[in-house]
Amino acid sequence: MAVGAVAHGAHAGAHDDEVDALYAETRDMRLLGFVLFLISDVVLFSAFIFAYLYLRNSIPNWPPLGADGKQLPRFDAAFAGVNSVVLFGSGATMHYALESWKHGAKKAFNWWMGATIVLGTLFLCGQAYEYMHAKVTWAGSTIGASFFTLTGMHGFHVFAGIVYLIILMIQANRGVYTKSKYFGLTAGTLYWHFVDVIWVALFTLFYLI
Amino acid sequence: MAVAAHVPATHHDHIHPEPTSFIQKYIFSLDHKIIGIQYFITTFLFYCIAGLLAEVIRIQLLHPNGGFVSNETYNQVYSVHGSAMVWLVIIPMLTGGFGNFVMPLMIGARDVAFPWLNMASFWMFPVAGALLFSSFLIGAPEAGWTEYPPISLQGPPGTSLWCMAIFLVGISSTLTGINFLVTIMKMRAPGMTLTRMPLFVWAQLATAMLSMVATTALAGALLALFLERTFGVPFYDPAKGGSPLLWQHMFWFYSHPAVYIMILPAFGIVSEILPTFSKKPIFGYKAIAFSSVAIALVGFMVWAHHMFTSGMVPWLTLPFMILTFFVAVPTGVKVLAWVATLWGGRVHFTAAMLFALGLIATFTLGGITGVFLAAVPADLHEHGTYFVVAHFHYVLFGGSVFGIFAGMYYWWPKMTGKLMNEPLAITHFWATFIGFNLTFFPMHWLGLMGMPRRVPIYDPQFQSLNVLASIGSFILAASTLLFFANVYYSLTKGKKASSDPWGGRTLEWMISSPPPYYNFKKIPAVLALPYDFGEPLPYLGGELIRPNAHTKFAGEE
Repeated sequence: MAVGAVAHGAHAGAHDDEVDALYAETRDMRLLGFVLFLISDVVLFSAFIFAYLYLRNSIPNWPPLGADGKQLPRFDAAFAGVNSVVLFGSGATMHYALESWKHGAKKAFNWWMGATIVLGTLFLCGQAYEYMHAKVTWAGSTIGASFFTLTGMHGFHVFAGIVYLIILMIQANRGVYTKSKYFGLTAGTLYWHFVDVIWVALFTLFYLI
Repeated sequence: MAVAAHVPATHHDHIHPEPTSFIQKYIFSLDHKIIGIQYFITTFLFYCIAGLLAEVIRIQLLHPNGGFVSNETYNQVYSVHGSAMVWLVIIPMLTGGFGNFVMPLMIGARDVAFPWLNMASFWMFPVAGALLFSSFLIGAPEAGWTEYPPISLQGPPGTSLWCMAIFLVGISSTLTGINFLVTIMKMRAPGMTLTRMPLFVWAQLATAMLSMVATTALAGALLALFLERTFGVPFYDPAKGGSPLLWQHMFWFYSHPAVYIMILPAFGIVSEILPTFSKKPIFGYKAIAFSSVAIALVGFMVWAHHMFTSGMVPWLTLPFMILTFFVAVPTGVKVLAWVATLWGGRVHFTAAMLFALGLIATFTLGGITGVFLAAVPADLHEHGTYFVVAHFHYVLFGGSVFGIFAGMYYWWPKMTGKLMNEPLAITHFWATFIGFNLTFFPMHWLGLMGMPRRVPIYDPQFQSLNVLASIGSFILAASTLLFFANVYYSLTKGKKASSDPWGGRTLEWMISSPPPYYNFKKIPAVLALPYDFGEPLPYLGGELIRPNAHTKFAGEE
């Protein structure tokens, strides 16, 4: 990438595009490593999605019957839809946070990061509300097993992401990142979009089809 | 990201000082060479424990009525034996051990991409071993290394420890895969294009891709099994709407590629040893390199051939059978290329070479029985019999473990700076080769005659072949002692090894034995493939030690 451009310590950050070569090298390695980590994480979700679809297709009528012999209800798409908008909104604010950082707008960065963290927390609250009012249980049926395991894993990823973003925000304000060296923020943004994309799949699988 | 950016060598020249405290240097080391050796020590310890478990199996089967251990203990013994050999011995030895020690040296790097991650991957692994072996204290898993539900759902409490142990090994394996993939893509010396990489590096690349992608799928399956056992979350229990077949799909989606994780690095080792001891360029470099990747890719599409008798949808058996036959094509390409490398070469029968040749012979047999088993009509007869046991031991012992010993003898001087006792090493090979074939060859007959696997007692008509197998296994166990004796001999009285005792031409032989901390003072530039024996070495710059014209290599008296 920016390997050719060489700037030395004192000048780093003074010119937008110039990054010293050692940083460019470690950034490239970390970026590839991080993307590979996300790919292997996708496989973990895929394993459970496969399990869900496999169990779903193994009976003629989905959802399965509950303990009382009646067919279990589908999940309510309306509430989860609103909650999804909250999560996707946080993807947009995260995008603006990174862009603000790249343009040196530190105040805007803090606002956008704060908004992302608040929206992410709101999403988790919405999910907690949904868990409390769910008509299926984790151990009671295959639909509950898949639903709670997959959305729970996703919720855990959102939670870990919020913690990660808070750490990034603190580090950014303590001067760990500069205008041209901000790999942590790139990784945080990638991770947050990854969490969004997983949710698109889960929302489709549990609420729409 | 197919081609890595080549960073000028000057940017590599940030050498950190070597740590001085014992703990930083040898326990929580960040140096890939030390971590590699840590893997070897731990895996050989686990190899001995799992090997002793195998001897328990063989002692039990000396007599048709068993009687050495109870039936339950017998189930636990073969379950832990298999799990330990696969996850605690072969995979970590070939990736964590050889991959860590050799791969960065071969690509002219100072370390792996993420040394901290490397250390973390290693330390997960003894913890996993402790978890797995301690399961004997509370009732070890009893459903074999595959732990099929519903038996594994009803298994003793140790089955949950098994889940945790394998989950942990899985995380370690995934992180190592990511680490190696980034290392190979981004840290090769200038001029080392993908098609100038040594074949062992190609094998590690294909393996890293496999362990990165497949292992997390296994983690999913294990997590689901653990949740079902602990909280009753229904995934596999048919009484609650789950499906035992689901486990088999998820398990084999990982575990078939895992077979290639266990064999590809061993193939890589053979591809290094054959040209060195035939003093001849490797035949079909690109064919061997790309066949590793082809095996890895096709390996993802064949998992259901383990399930022909499990009640899978019948129409699916045909595509899985045909795809499995395809694996034989790139594998056959490798074997033919190896044989062609030997053709007309000046072959030196060192211990490393003998083990490599032994691998070609025994692995090919295991590969051929694999084609038998992939054929649905034959599999219906052979599935679940000792034929399967014979098949996968020819692949995993005759393939992977022979590869491990070949690699140990080949790189031992590089690791320790000492030579092994060659006559003792050659005796070790012949004892292993004879013991191995005596143990596992009769199992083909036993299986075809209908002896089921995983049974503590059996029909008396099978006794003579079982006694033969057990005698073979005792020879095999004793042969391992020869190896450890050689290790002891070499470390205490062994002759000092030069930088390049075998006349190898890959980069690790161009630096002193053992290599200095940080490997290369100056990173060399690579001009061509390393296998052109007789031509000048294809490296520029760096401060490499080159053999002079009078150097006599081992086996060249």
